[in-house]
Order: sequence, then structure tokens, then C-alpha cells
Amino acid sequence: RSRAQVDATLRTAKLDPAELLPAVHCLRFGPHAAPGHCALLQLEPALCAELEAGRSLVIRGEKDEQAVLCSKDKTYDMKIADTSNMLLFVPGCKTPEELNADPSTSNIIHSQIAGFSNNYWELRRCRPKLKKLRKLLMEDPYEGPDSRKDQALTFSKYTTEDLLSLIQASEEEILHQLQVIDACKIEGYWRILEFDYEMKLLDHVTQLIDSESWSLSKVPLRTCLEELGSLEPREMIEHILLSYGRKYVDDGEVYFEMHEDKICRAIAQMLLRNAVKFNLSEFQEVWQQSVPEGMTTRLDQLKGLALVDKSSRPETIFLLKVEDLPEDNQERFNSLFGIREKWTEVDITPYIQDLCTEKQTVGALLTKYARSSMLNGVKVYNSRRPIS
Amino acid sequence: SGGTGALAQWVLVELQGEVEPRQSGSLAGSLLGDLHYTREGVPVLIVGHHILYGKVVQLEKPFAVLVKQGGAPEAGPGAPHGHYTVTALIKTKLLFKTRPKPIITHVPKKV
Repeated sequence: RSRAQVDATLRTAKLDPAELLPAVHCLRFGPHAAPGHCALLQLEPALCAELEAGRSLVIRGEKDEQAVLCSKDKTYDMKIADTSNMLLFVPGCKTPEELNADPSTSNIIHSQIAGFSNNYWELRRCRPKLKKLRKLLMEDPYEGPDSRKDQALTFSKYTTEDLLSLIQASEEEILHQLQVIDACKIEGYWRILEFDYEMKLLDHVTQLIDSESWSLSKVPLRTCLEELGSLEPREMIEHILLSYGRKYVDDGEVYFEMHEDKICRAIAQMLLRNAVKFNLSEFQEVWQQSVPEGMTTRLDQLKGLALVDKSSRPETIFLLKVEDLPEDNQERFNSLFGIREKWTEVDITPYIQDLCTEKQTVGALLTKYARSSMLNGVKVYNSRRPIS
Repeated sequence: SGGTGALAQWVLVELQGEVEPRQSGSLAGSLLGDLHYTREGVPVLIVGHHILYGKVVQLEKPFAVLVKQGGAPEAGPGAPHGHYTVTALIKTKLLFKTRPKPIITHVPKKV
């Protein structure tokens, strides 16, 4: 279009050029403008800043999963928002401020509309979907160097890259979770230790601590490697110390402050695995006898691992691991109410803590997914719906 | 993924209803109209025989424009799987919500 044509249109429209800024954008649809070619993604200011800083966003999800968007350290659900309006995206289109600020702007700006849409993707921050991570690593737990299994060709092994493409979470969330579940890298693959092997390693360490009469808060790495190196790979010895202790350096030497709670908890798991449920007082006795010298067992060490049934006579305890429960909020609550009809807040909290987000606290979750009532003067929660 | 170097800043133009091509066929290449601004900064869009008045809005939640890599564009945003590149950011929109004023080009003569 020429200036003459633009002016002719203005005259026909009975618009006074004197009331307008001199520059005009002649908008034309670009050659690739077609639905589906471009999509709009609504950002929060923080995400916008990340993009402007040159960082990437990735969309993750297999065909059967709802797609999520991941920044470096956060995960978002994606949802289509429809608008009844037409949204056109125009590169190089200037605002009045920009035109006024730059008087040299050409009189006619030929702008191409790059694309258009009547919807956009909305993002909502969500919990990273990490249950799959443990599931993948449990396909082939590491049983130690002597295990025949590892020599056989197996494809159930995952590198960091594999996990990034399969897990719907940001890289930082994935790496953090790998640490939380005490995964370790063996020959480039992330592995979880098979429980018996892990207990065997832990046992070596606790026996050594006992025989050397070390303080539980000052276990020397060097001596552990020297004494146990002939029994197990050095990386495994160091790994078990890292999993069950806090590493620190004192006077140039590396030591570990052992986590009493975590060790007691692991030993409880070992004991509880073997039957459906146990007499509580018998269990407590055996448990205390099984932990290393100097450690004290407490039932609150077992939050999210085991549940005490105070209504049975005698009282019993059984294994219930939060990581074995469903990841979806409603399914989690259905599962919990299927196990026990009424829960106190103290009992249920360890089993829903991992569902909490910035916006949803334990209290909010209970309000949404449960109904409260009083039982013997104590507030309890039960299902909102009848359990089949 | 994001690009290296600064991201382009685009503008969103929001119109009521749908835009249809004059002739049947795709919109690609066809003219939409002239976009003017009044001296007060009010955007004025002349589309066909209509004048639309709008306003400049700074978006509280900016948009990223994603372009799908490789393969034919899908009809609709269905499955967002695949590789996308962030091509541009949009922080400003020109919102045309007022009903278009028709431009009367021919006044019938009184007989």
C-alpha cells in the first residue's frame, strides 16, 4: 500500500489525519500465518524474566500424559484457555510511545501478521510428577557388584538425559529427588540400591562403628574405606555413609555425623517387611535391640513408613510407605480412607505432606478432600464419599 | 527452548469475532487493514468497511510465542507434544472491543 492509498482510506473513513500520528501500520497476513503454526503461552512475570535471561522452557510428557511445562526448577500444568476473540501476533508493531520516542520512524510500516489464534495455553504451577522416577529406578535396583543381574544386558537403566525426557518435572526437581531417594550414579546410570544390599552396607558400617567405638557423630571416611574396602566397592561405602550421614571436614579429614533417626527408620523397615503386622510392644523391644549402640528408637521416626493401630488389642503396627501410595490427590485420599476409615490429623499428615504446594497446606487438603467429625473428644477425618 | 540473544518483542492485536478472507482460501498474504494511532495514543484500525477503536494494554501476564518445529502444523493446539521454539515475547496488546463502525461509502440519493 502506498501513502496515497492510506490517505484515500482515511478520507473515506472521514478521519482527520491531523488528529492522528503520522505513522501507519499496514497489516497483512504473513505467508505462514495459519492456525496451529504458532501458539501463545501465557507467562508469569518470573517465567518471562527467565526467558529474557536466555533460559529455556521445555514441554514434557508422553502421549498418554498431560503435558507439563518445565523451567529450570519449576513445573507447570498446561491448560488451554479459549477466548471468543481473535488474537493476532504482529512482529515489529510499534506502540504510540515508541512512535513518539522515535520521530525518524518511517511513515508507512508494512507489518506482517505472523500468526493468529483464538486460544492460548495457561500455566499453573504444580507439584513435579516424581513418582515415576522411583518407579523407573525400581525396575532394576542395584544389588551389588557380585550380582549376576548386572552382567546381563538390561535396558532398564537410565541416564540423567533419559530421566529428563521421561519425567514430568524440571531438571532441578529431578536432581533434588534423586538425592532425596538416595540414588547414586553407577557407570553413568542412576540406580537405587536394592533394600537388602543397602542394609548389608549399613550393617558393615554400624558394626565397624561399634568395634572401633567411634562417636556416632565422628565417623572417619578414610578408615571406613580402609577397613571395608575389601568387602564392598569404595563408591558404595562412601554412598552409604552419604545416605545415612552428614559429611563434614575437620582438620583436613572427612567425617560423617550419622543420622540416628534415618538409621533407626531403616532398621524398622527391615523388621516390618516380614509380616503383615506386628504386636506393637514386641516390635518396639526388638527394634530397640536391633539398632546400633547409643541410638534410641522412637515411634515418631516412623512417620510415613509405618502406622500404629491403637484400636486393636493388643496394639499393632504395620508397614505403610507413603511412596507406595497414589500421586493424585483424590486417589491418595481414597487409598488412605480405604486403609482406615477415620484418621486423626497427626496420623494422616505424614501421608499427605508430599501433596502440599505453596497454595495448599495440609489443612486446605483436609478441608477439600475429607470431612471432619469428633470421636471420643478427638477430631477425626473421614472420606467425603462412600468407600466401595 | 529459549533462543540465544535477545528475544523479539511482538504486539498482540485482539479483535472481536473472526477474521475471514475475502475470497475463499487461506488468509496468508492477504491484507487486513491500516492501523493508526490518534495523537492521544488510541489505536484506530480500519478493516475493510469498518473502523475499530481500541486501547493499548500492558499485559500483566505476558505471552510467549511458540513456533512448532518441523512437521506440518496441527489443526488446533491439541497435543502440545513436540519441539517448540520461543520466537518472541508479547507484553503489549491492542485491544479492539468496541463494535466496528461501518464506513458508509455510498449514500443513496433522494429521488
